[in-house]
Amino acid sequence: MEDNIINKTGFSLSVLQKRLFAVLAAITFLFCIFLGRFFYIQLLWEDELHYRAIDQWTREIPVNAGRGKIVDRNGELLAGNRAMYGVYARASAVEDAENGARILAGALGTSYESMLEKLTDKAKSEIVVVRRTEKSAVEQIAKTEIAGVYYARNDARVYPYGALASQVLGFTAYDNSGTTGIERYYDSYLKGQSGEILFETDLVGVDLKGASAAYLPATDGLNVKLTLDYRIQALTEQVMERALAENNAKAARAIVLDPRDFSVLAMVNLPAYDLNDVPRGEPDLLNALSRNCLVSDVYEPGSTFKIVTAAADIEEYLKGNPAALAPTHIFPSSRTRSVDGTTIKCWSDHKNGKHANQTLKEALNNSCNPCFVDLALALGKETFYDYLAAFRFGRATGIDFSGEAIGMLLPESSLRDCDFARIGFGQSIAVTPLQLACAAASAVNGGYYYAPRLVSEIFSDDGYVSERVKPALIGRTVSEQASAMLTEMLEGVVRDGSGKKAYIESYRVAGKTGTAQKYENGAIAQGKYVSSFVGCFPANAPRYLALVIVDEPQGSYYGSSVAAPCAREIFSGIIDVMQLQPEGGV
Amino acid sequence: MKRSSAFPAAEGTLKRSSAFPAAEGKAGRGDLLFLIAVVVLAAYGVVCVYSASCYNAEVQYGDSLYFFKKQLVGFAVGLAAMAAIAFLDYRRLQKIGIPALILSLVLLALVFVPGLGKSNYGATRWLGFGAFTVQPSEIAKYGFILFTAGYFAKDPARMRTLTGVLPVLGGGIAICVLIMLEPNMSVTMCVGALMVGMIFLGGVSKKALCAICVPVLFLVPVLIVAEPYRLQRLSAFVDPWASPKAEGYQLIQSLYALGNGKFFGTGLFRSRQKYRFLPFSESDFILSVIAEETGFLGVLLLFALIFFIVYRGFRIANACDNFYGYMLVSGITLVFAVQSALNALVVSGCIPPTGLPLPLVSAGNTSLIVTMAGMGLVYCVSRHNERRKFIGYTN
Repeated sequence: MEDNIINKTGFSLSVLQKRLFAVLAAITFLFCIFLGRFFYIQLLWEDELHYRAIDQWTREIPVNAGRGKIVDRNGELLAGNRAMYGVYARASAVEDAENGARILAGALGTSYESMLEKLTDKAKSEIVVVRRTEKSAVEQIAKTEIAGVYYARNDARVYPYGALASQVLGFTAYDNSGTTGIERYYDSYLKGQSGEILFETDLVGVDLKGASAAYLPATDGLNVKLTLDYRIQALTEQVMERALAENNAKAARAIVLDPRDFSVLAMVNLPAYDLNDVPRGEPDLLNALSRNCLVSDVYEPGSTFKIVTAAADIEEYLKGNPAALAPTHIFPSSRTRSVDGTTIKCWSDHKNGKHANQTLKEALNNSCNPCFVDLALALGKETFYDYLAAFRFGRATGIDFSGEAIGMLLPESSLRDCDFARIGFGQSIAVTPLQLACAAASAVNGGYYYAPRLVSEIFSDDGYVSERVKPALIGRTVSEQASAMLTEMLEGVVRDGSGKKAYIESYRVAGKTGTAQKYENGAIAQGKYVSSFVGCFPANAPRYLALVIVDEPQGSYYGSSVAAPCAREIFSGIIDVMQLQPEGGV
Repeated sequence: MKRSSAFPAAEGTLKRSSAFPAAEGKAGRGDLLFLIAVVVLAAYGVVCVYSASCYNAEVQYGDSLYFFKKQLVGFAVGLAAMAAIAFLDYRRLQKIGIPALILSLVLLALVFVPGLGKSNYGATRWLGFGAFTVQPSEIAKYGFILFTAGYFAKDPARMRTLTGVLPVLGGGIAICVLIMLEPNMSVTMCVGALMVGMIFLGGVSKKALCAICVPVLFLVPVLIVAEPYRLQRLSAFVDPWASPKAEGYQLIQSLYALGNGKFFGTGLFRSRQKYRFLPFSESDFILSVIAEETGFLGVLLLFALIFFIVYRGFRIANACDNFYGYMLVSGITLVFAVQSALNALVVSGCIPPTGLPLPLVSAGNTSLIVTMAGMGLVYCVSRHNERRKFIGYTN
């Protein structure tokens, strides 16, 4: 091809053609590289990329789940919801801020300026216009369809009985999450699963025209059924309210338990607060008022603790422990006992034949301290501490409630006899009221110790029970025989002894009073007492057990005169409400 | 002559005869398939520009057709330019090589004259004349092609010596430096690749080629390190999610668009990323929107069309009976191919993000008109080839 023009330029044709081909090959190679990359991104990596991208394509408005109800054991509503709505705005999507602000201000009864400020605040992607407002206001807003303004259900928590069982129920935060009490402990059941309304928007949050919002529905929370009986709770609160006022006391508390399975029927802490008007502005006050002291605080139980000492001795006696004192044992009549060189006195002066020649039954009737010193010392630290453990002092009872205290127990290894002797009659030991009530319940119910509980069921609105909390036997404390003997003695205390003021004709109330001096900064606080009574009925097969505590009563301060009458009123109330027949009548 | 023909359709070259001077006679119909492919691609670009820009245009200018109208004007002017050039006798252009280079350099330099240069996104790349803006670097690419083709065609023996190649190197480097100062790294790379490519296509000896290429390869890392923002972009390219709101943003948004497209795409006009998530969605990153709306399948078909244009371009170059036409056509085709490939590499995250339009498709009138004019020139050459071929056969 010597006539080829290209050849005339001095190059062979094949050189140029080869170079064209080489360049085309290089370009083909480049094309293959990026097409491979497109293949990888679009067909292999696309799921992950899509997942990441969805987040930026949508703005969400929360759809709050309806919070579960809390009801008492008979289905009485104790915590429910009122339908309310939250109003939100995205300033970047607002088209006519002035008009929008006018409508919002009119519907919500707020100022035009504050609404305008919110609708024009483009620094935030989403603004809460109002967290909760009535349905009627939202309907007014919905009619006008202001661009960039949204609303979503945001129920308000409502407690029909206000302050009733306020420390047990607890309250919720602004976002409806449980803050204290059952609301907090069972929050995971109550809260449900929030949903979302997803709006397709552009980069800055402007809604896309023609794009439909995706609605992810919320799943409502489950309902919680308490073991509490509203009627018993209410009457107990009335009784304790009166006791608080009459004794001008600092606080009045009570627990009512069913000794058969340790389900809590009532828990009263006074003073209380209205759950519908929580004093959120005063954290210290709120903290004090919302505390369930029956579970979270400890006190020195005093004579009510003698039930435990007596139970331990009877059980050991029945087991044939030679160290144990027989129920027929006659205690020395002296008013004092000398232990480790310290002198322990009885509260009574023992004059004129008082507290003379007592057996255990009489020692309980008289609540004679030296007798219980004798009992404790007779049993010895090791045996006695075994019983303290079995009655769960110094341990959690396992109640379904946050913040349970375990009490204070001097360590057995370094325990001095003088302190040990005092534990026998309920001093030098700190327990929670719940611990004492459970210990007493176990002492009178045949020696069975269950985990106390506040909730019996978790159920959905259609009635399906998703979880049933069954009674859980944790352990045995004493034998049925020992329990029966002790209960009989305690019935005597109410019939003949210091618990007389709790006596109800033919309902067989058994119980024990207690009066403890309070300590402040390690010294006895003059004139400050805790008056208490723990009792149950009917003695032959206890169904109701109550622990009543009146903290710092003014004037009379003996458990027998301050607390025992309260127990009587509570038991009478229960008899009325439950329409219980007197013994023999059934 | 024995040769394995890489371009079977170019058999006509075998029948060439010097008895018919190239300057005589009338031109034929030319490579109509090439012409159609170019027009289809540019028209498709107009549609894509509308889809990618309508939301931005509505938000920014209150007119969803803003970019579409501009692109349509560019397309019309481009068609006119193509038509006008198609009927030229391209060999006359051989004389304007040097003026074209000088004009390119002057325009590039004018960008730095205060009042004339227009800055955007931290770079001064445009010349403003009232409502019109021109991107001189787009013109300079073709200025360089005209100069190089003319220079070598005048005395092809220049190709044999390094000193003979030097003026081409000098012109190319001068353009590169001016573009680099704007700064615009990707167009610099593009011109650099074009320069090396044209010298290679021109048939320069392998020794001289090595002497040119090695320093260029050495220069790339130096240029990257010289400007800190390039290093940042490089690291963002390695892991864009390390700085999702800064350097990595552009690439992440491009990847989201691609990922959303999957195989079949979301459907034309149904991009999600064009709602202001993806910057430059109608210009340098229009391919992301196309990949999102038409999927991998659409990308495949689009690049099949682009490759077809490149193939036909090289085929026309191969069929050319004179060195000037060969250099002109292969240069124009090469710059189109390189730019398309670079853009796709950027969009798919194979190389760090840079501002480079997808030729014939991206919004931007300078690029569109100049590219269409260039393609018109290729078509013009093909017409002359056919005339030769026709006469050759009848003989």
